[in-house]
Amino acid sequence: MERRQFINHLFALGKRPSLADGPPLMVEGGIEPYTTPLTLEDVLHLYRRAGFGATMAQARAQVGRQAADVVNELLGTGDEPPHDPPGPWVDTWTENPQGADLQTRLAIERSWDANMANLANWWIGRMASDTTSIEKLTLFWSSHWVTEFGFDNIFSIPQMLFRQLQIFRTKRLGDLREMALEITLDPAMLQYLGGTYNIKGRANENYARELMELFLTGIGWYTEGDVKEAARVLTGWRTQRFSDEPAPNDKYVTWFDAAAHDIGAKQFLGQTIAARTEDNNTAFQVKFDEVFKLIQIIFDVRADAVSGFIADKAYRYFVYSSPTEVDPTFLADLAAAYRNADFDLRALFATMFTSAHFFDPAIRGAQITTPLEYLAGLQRRLGKGLANPHQWVENMDQPVMDPPTVAGWPGYRSWISTNTYPMRRTYARTLIQAMSDAEVNTWIRTFDEYDDARKFTANVVTFLLPVAVSQERMDYYLQALLQNAPDYDWPSILNDASAAAKRTRDLLITLSKAPDFQLC
Amino acid sequence: MKRRTFLKTTAAASVGTQLLGGVPLRAFSPDQLQNLLEADDDRILIVVQLFGGNDGLNTIIPVDDPEYYNIRPVIAVQKSDAVSVLSRVHMHPALAPAGSYNLKTMFEDGRLAIVQGIGYENPNLSHFRSTDIWLSGFNSSDPNKRLIDGWLGRYWANKIQGFPENLPSDPTAVQIGGTLSMLLQSPKGDIGIALTDPEKFFEQGQGLSPDLDPMPEDSRYGREFNFIRLVAEQSDRYSSVVKQAFDRGRNTLTYDDNGFVKQMQLVARLISGGLKSKVYLVYMGGFDTHVQQQNEDLTGLHPFLLEKLSLGIGQFMQDALAQGFADRVVGMTVSEFGRRPYQNGSRGTDHGAASVQFVFGNKVRAGVYGDAPDLANLNSNGDLRWQYDYRRVYADILETWFGGTPEATEAVFEERFLPLGVLQRPTSVQDAYDGRTQVNVRAYPNPTATSAVLEWQQGVPAGVTIELYGTDGRFVETLHRGTVQPGTVQIPIHPSRPGAFICNVIVNGRPTPVPLSVVR
Repeated sequence: MERRQFINHLFALGKRPSLADGPPLMVEGGIEPYTTPLTLEDVLHLYRRAGFGATMAQARAQVGRQAADVVNELLGTGDEPPHDPPGPWVDTWTENPQGADLQTRLAIERSWDANMANLANWWIGRMASDTTSIEKLTLFWSSHWVTEFGFDNIFSIPQMLFRQLQIFRTKRLGDLREMALEITLDPAMLQYLGGTYNIKGRANENYARELMELFLTGIGWYTEGDVKEAARVLTGWRTQRFSDEPAPNDKYVTWFDAAAHDIGAKQFLGQTIAARTEDNNTAFQVKFDEVFKLIQIIFDVRADAVSGFIADKAYRYFVYSSPTEVDPTFLADLAAAYRNADFDLRALFATMFTSAHFFDPAIRGAQITTPLEYLAGLQRRLGKGLANPHQWVENMDQPVMDPPTVAGWPGYRSWISTNTYPMRRTYARTLIQAMSDAEVNTWIRTFDEYDDARKFTANVVTFLLPVAVSQERMDYYLQALLQNAPDYDWPSILNDASAAAKRTRDLLITLSKAPDFQLC
Repeated sequence: MKRRTFLKTTAAASVGTQLLGGVPLRAFSPDQLQNLLEADDDRILIVVQLFGGNDGLNTIIPVDDPEYYNIRPVIAVQKSDAVSVLSRVHMHPALAPAGSYNLKTMFEDGRLAIVQGIGYENPNLSHFRSTDIWLSGFNSSDPNKRLIDGWLGRYWANKIQGFPENLPSDPTAVQIGGTLSMLLQSPKGDIGIALTDPEKFFEQGQGLSPDLDPMPEDSRYGREFNFIRLVAEQSDRYSSVVKQAFDRGRNTLTYDDNGFVKQMQLVARLISGGLKSKVYLVYMGGFDTHVQQQNEDLTGLHPFLLEKLSLGIGQFMQDALAQGFADRVVGMTVSEFGRRPYQNGSRGTDHGAASVQFVFGNKVRAGVYGDAPDLANLNSNGDLRWQYDYRRVYADILETWFGGTPEATEAVFEERFLPLGVLQRPTSVQDAYDGRTQVNVRAYPNPTATSAVLEWQQGVPAGVTIELYGTDGRFVETLHRGTVQPGTVQIPIHPSRPGAFICNVIVNGRPTPVPLSVVR
């Protein structure tokens, strides 16, 4: 090594590059549509937030287009064909482990674990290959209407969770009242929040409370009396998990137990849900005249609360999740747009993703990626994944469809701890090192002007970090790639697939150490 | 979340030399040893969080109240089944597993305080809001007030010099498992780390220190960048510190094979290994017993949880006694609420209000605090009324245990609370010499219509402050400030309003509470 090279080497090893001033604090953009033709950075931002990231080719194809057009395509139509199931197990019964001998019981529980792993890996694969926002929105709703796979000693059977996922997928853009009705009577939810045990005269308040507190209005918009009355409305719906339980409407389908329904009149949020006679106590009538009526009352009487609550939830999930730093004007405008569209979710998401606020520089790079965004996003952008991704996201504290409590994952900074941050770093390093020479070389060639070391480094940084970095930091990354070779040597290094791959892996691993590698 | 076995701890290596904080005793001179043994700052708090809302009525059983058996026909614990302890309380039999050291035997040995009627004004029946109220130390009925950091986080972030720029040598707080709790967060950053497996933490945490300097804090991006950067630095630094303590530490008994019990085992091992953390947070979920809480034969979810709770604390205590650190540790349970007094239709109970709290350790003033719940006098929602604000026990921890000032307590809660007195105040020779001892105060007339006189015998010249608190422990007013000379002291006081009060007579910093009634 020559002396000058040696000094450069020390420089590269020892010096911490400083950072340019980041984006501004003030968000200037509001609810008005963003009409500037999209730049590459805009497109990458949109795809990171509304989906799991774009490939370079996909991003380039959107440059120069209008946000409204791109978002319209991203959201999809809402009537896409259903998921192909992950396996034939989704239509099989599961045995009741209660009362079985230990061997049988363990075998049954192991089959649930295996099916859940299969479901989770399958879904993560869909996320990483999704060119739209379908899976991201499905994940959003799945994280909102919470059930847990393993809840103490009670399990939500994976067969039920697969069915629940279809509700989120098909209803993701429609009228939230319809999603609320389906989820209220969803077998996994009836099981998880005790609806299936909610019986006339001995009401179980669990779901009634969470329907308002966690799913539709937030606390403060109902009395404890409203909770009790809503619980009465919701009596009588039963489900089953095991082959030895009654299933008059086929397996994993809710049924109505008329004898368990409270037919008396209910007073809820100042409105009356009329009493019914035994003759009118049928599944169809109770479903629409009581359960759907209950949901309609919430949306009518608490329209402001519902629109504000849902807009807030979406904003925190897709735009910025800090609990304290909100832009009240933008949130109020977003809630009003949603309410004025009669709670049509497509209007909510389209307004949000096409707003000037969403594209404002102050919002860029401010969001901590969830483990699923991080993992599926890396898989999508590097074109490579690792086996058993469900195990990795579980170790990063986001087991698929299995949040810690009925409030879901607490989000924001709770995603990054001394428990999970080292796991994220290990994941990135393991993934990058698992890329074969051929895979790395293919990946290098997805970039324009990849044979120019400076442009290649700059493009990789733009592609993988959320915000432009200082020149000093860029030089540091260039050094990580070149490792003291002069930059005009890069084209010849590219002729050696192994050398090019090694240096590119080093660049990627150096990038993965940056705190903003976790941001989007 | 699945009920996972948190830890795969390796068998504890036995250590031949007698250790003090993991360091061989012979390394200290007698003076140093004396200082170490007396040092205030080696005190440790263990917070045991019982998530879901523990049913106080089925923890400490009101066996002499027929109403209890009327409203809980299925899930009540019969008097013949309840375990009578020292003729003072009746415990659920699950708290006294045969052949173990447990909460019952700890009560008999003077190592357990039972606080009945713990709660707060305007009880909130949401798990999440109420958990936030318990962990933040703020009881705000305004749902728009976001509770985002914890009382212990705020206390320690203010107490540690130069935090967070200068991280202390050891993590101030350690949470076993999960994402870092609000309890350990502060406006200046997290005061602790989350940790599941010390070996894995060490393996993954090494070398994670960021290679980039902090960003300016004037953008959202910069703030999140710096937050992640701090976690990276904590991961790197504390992974070695924790590993060292883990390797030096040991356990002297075989703990029960259960997730929660294993958490207690790990805490014991880290303390034994000399980790200088002040706070440990352990977690047990599953207390949200809406369904199948308990069967007629006293099996079921709640008894299972109570047994593990009792075993985990008991085995930890046994280990602490064997290793000689029992005097340095106190622990307390926190749970967001109790359950509804009457049972629901699914052998369970819905969300309630006031409940039972355990405080344990060698330095507690063992006994039962508060009256048995009054089932004939429920609140408007049919829930138990609270007797003690939960922050009175916190004030004990901050002032009596950690040696904080009442002003520091007030800064943490933005309100002043009288410590409940569940902990022993250590009295040294120097304390006696300085007059920092409790005095024997008499208040007369009591009750009084207007004013009263406080009288006691005083040994040395002293500064005196007299404060008035409500019986719920909330500060009312300061009645007197001044100095006194040796001899019989008589100080007239004039409370500004009628009511039932506690006069807190503080002589040279040492408080003595005296009840006082003002009837007009």
